[in-house]
Amino acid sequence: KTCALKEGGCISSWLVLVQMLWKLFGPGIIERDETPMEKEIAGLHRMEFQFSDIFYFCRKGFEAIVEDEVTQRFSSEELVSWNLLTRTNVNFHYISLRLTVVWVIGVIVRYCFLLPLRFTLAAIGITSMIVGTTLVGQLPNSSVKNYLSEVVHLTCSRILVRALSGTIHYHNRENKPQKGGICVANHTSPIDAIILTNDGCYAMVGQVHGGLMGVIQRATVKACPHVWFERSEIKDRHLVTKRLREHVANKSKLPILIFPEGTCINNTSVMMFKKGSFEIGGTIYPVAIKYDPQFGDAFWNSSKYNIVSYLLRIMTSWAIVCNVWYMPPMVRKEGEDAVQFANRVRSAIAHQGGLAELPWDGGLKRAKVKDSFKEEQQKNYSKMLVRNGSIGSLPTGTESD
Amino acid sequence: GRQWQELPPGKRKKGERGSGFTSEQIEHLHRRFRQLSRDQLTIRKENFDSIPDLEFNPIRAKIVHAFFDKRNLRQESSGLADEINFEDFLTIMSYFRPIEMNMDEEQLDRFRKEKLKFLFHMYDSDHDGKITLQEYRNVVEELLSGNPHLEKESARSIADGAMMEAASICGPDQVYEGITFEDFLKMWQGIDIETKMHVRFLNMETIAHCY
Repeated sequence: KTCALKEGGCISSWLVLVQMLWKLFGPGIIERDETPMEKEIAGLHRMEFQFSDIFYFCRKGFEAIVEDEVTQRFSSEELVSWNLLTRTNVNFHYISLRLTVVWVIGVIVRYCFLLPLRFTLAAIGITSMIVGTTLVGQLPNSSVKNYLSEVVHLTCSRILVRALSGTIHYHNRENKPQKGGICVANHTSPIDAIILTNDGCYAMVGQVHGGLMGVIQRATVKACPHVWFERSEIKDRHLVTKRLREHVANKSKLPILIFPEGTCINNTSVMMFKKGSFEIGGTIYPVAIKYDPQFGDAFWNSSKYNIVSYLLRIMTSWAIVCNVWYMPPMVRKEGEDAVQFANRVRSAIAHQGGLAELPWDGGLKRAKVKDSFKEEQQKNYSKMLVRNGSIGSLPTGTESD
Repeated sequence: GRQWQELPPGKRKKGERGSGFTSEQIEHLHRRFRQLSRDQLTIRKENFDSIPDLEFNPIRAKIVHAFFDKRNLRQESSGLADEINFEDFLTIMSYFRPIEMNMDEEQLDRFRKEKLKFLFHMYDSDHDGKITLQEYRNVVEELLSGNPHLEKESARSIADGAMMEAASICGPDQVYEGITFEDFLKMWQGIDIETKMHVRFLNMETIAHCY
């Protein structure tokens, strides 16, 4: 277990050295003029005010065509300097023979040395999880059973994290989620759950899967009350909320782990939280997870890669380095509805993790913008025109055709 | 259709000469083009639907139209193209190039004229070379289309007011016959539009500069 940690450490110092050699370039590719619409349009002379209003929207349109905020979030975070993984080699070109040689050595190390080691560890971890939880599941319900179940879950989580060469820094451990609460975190990849269970026990919530995942789910639910839903049940929101409410009401049960974004985001921003998780009630424990992309890109673009190729990529990265911040618990205030509460929690998580907050739905990965958003912008513009008195100042009864 | 991954260097050179973008900017635009076209060689109008930021924009239709307008693509004929390739995409993008430091008077003047021509084409939707009152009303209506409280009447009066002002510069006949491009240019004399109609790329120093 420790050798995986050590290898992460020496690679990191080497990469810092390499990093010093590269020059920096910015995260986006165009400079956006952040002048608010009102200032820019009102700043022009009155007559041009009409004809030139189109400038502002024209330019915004072109900026959107060259680079839009949302699509950017669904492709992997661009790195400042190359970390010798071809998968992040979007912006970098062939430089020199020396670099290629270094890269080849890197490939050999990663595929021939790290991969088999990690694969073995992962296999051991998963097998012990299944066997361990099945054994513990045989016991009658008692505090001994709960204790043993925790031990099994924690140990297997730790083995799996080592299998990914994960180096995790936990901050503010005193705010760790308590029993009977709901733990809410931002979502970047399927391994988020393992990252969190490495440090504590949670009741997982999710859909029942087939295959190996299904076996794991069936085994673990015997030892610990995870909440697995059938596919048909997921569609019924009330049923889901009811079951979760029952779980939360029982203060002796482990905290639930939920990812309210609903889909994997590329870890540079936090998208809109689905309000369902915030209607259950109870205390919310927000957690911010931020991966360091220098060592390995943890983001799972499920429309581009399937789970197997994703895991293969993870296991042939240098390491998974991330920071986890536990934040003080939050409760819904009087007169606050679920959406406002969700946004409040989201702001807190984004602020802590240094992520941008976007008013977008994670569902935009696949769907289109809601009409209500479109109208907002147009309403603002017309409000401005009316306010500036363009209508009022015209002589009444003027007909020009 | 056929697909490609890398931008062939020959095309990149050609793009550099024609559009005035640097090599890196062209690479970025090419990547964006591929993203929009989903790795095809050409883009159609529907491909612009995949840009969420653009949905916000009240004159979205006019902007997308501008990409397929043959007048903007510098083709002899008039009307709309069905699809455009990367060279055409660069041609349209070059209308929004920022001014460079080393431009002389003549270049600056040509630059400005091109941008204004682009704008003119946006207003002149029936391609007859004149902006009529009706065409201007259409633009204003589109700009204000999102607000349900603003009636069509108000949009019309704003448009009419603007035309009146235009008449004071160009001459009263223009209001009835339509504003030609020369009149349009007159309206903008002395007004600095170059800084309003550009998209500025961030300075990109890539790895190639490392020794």
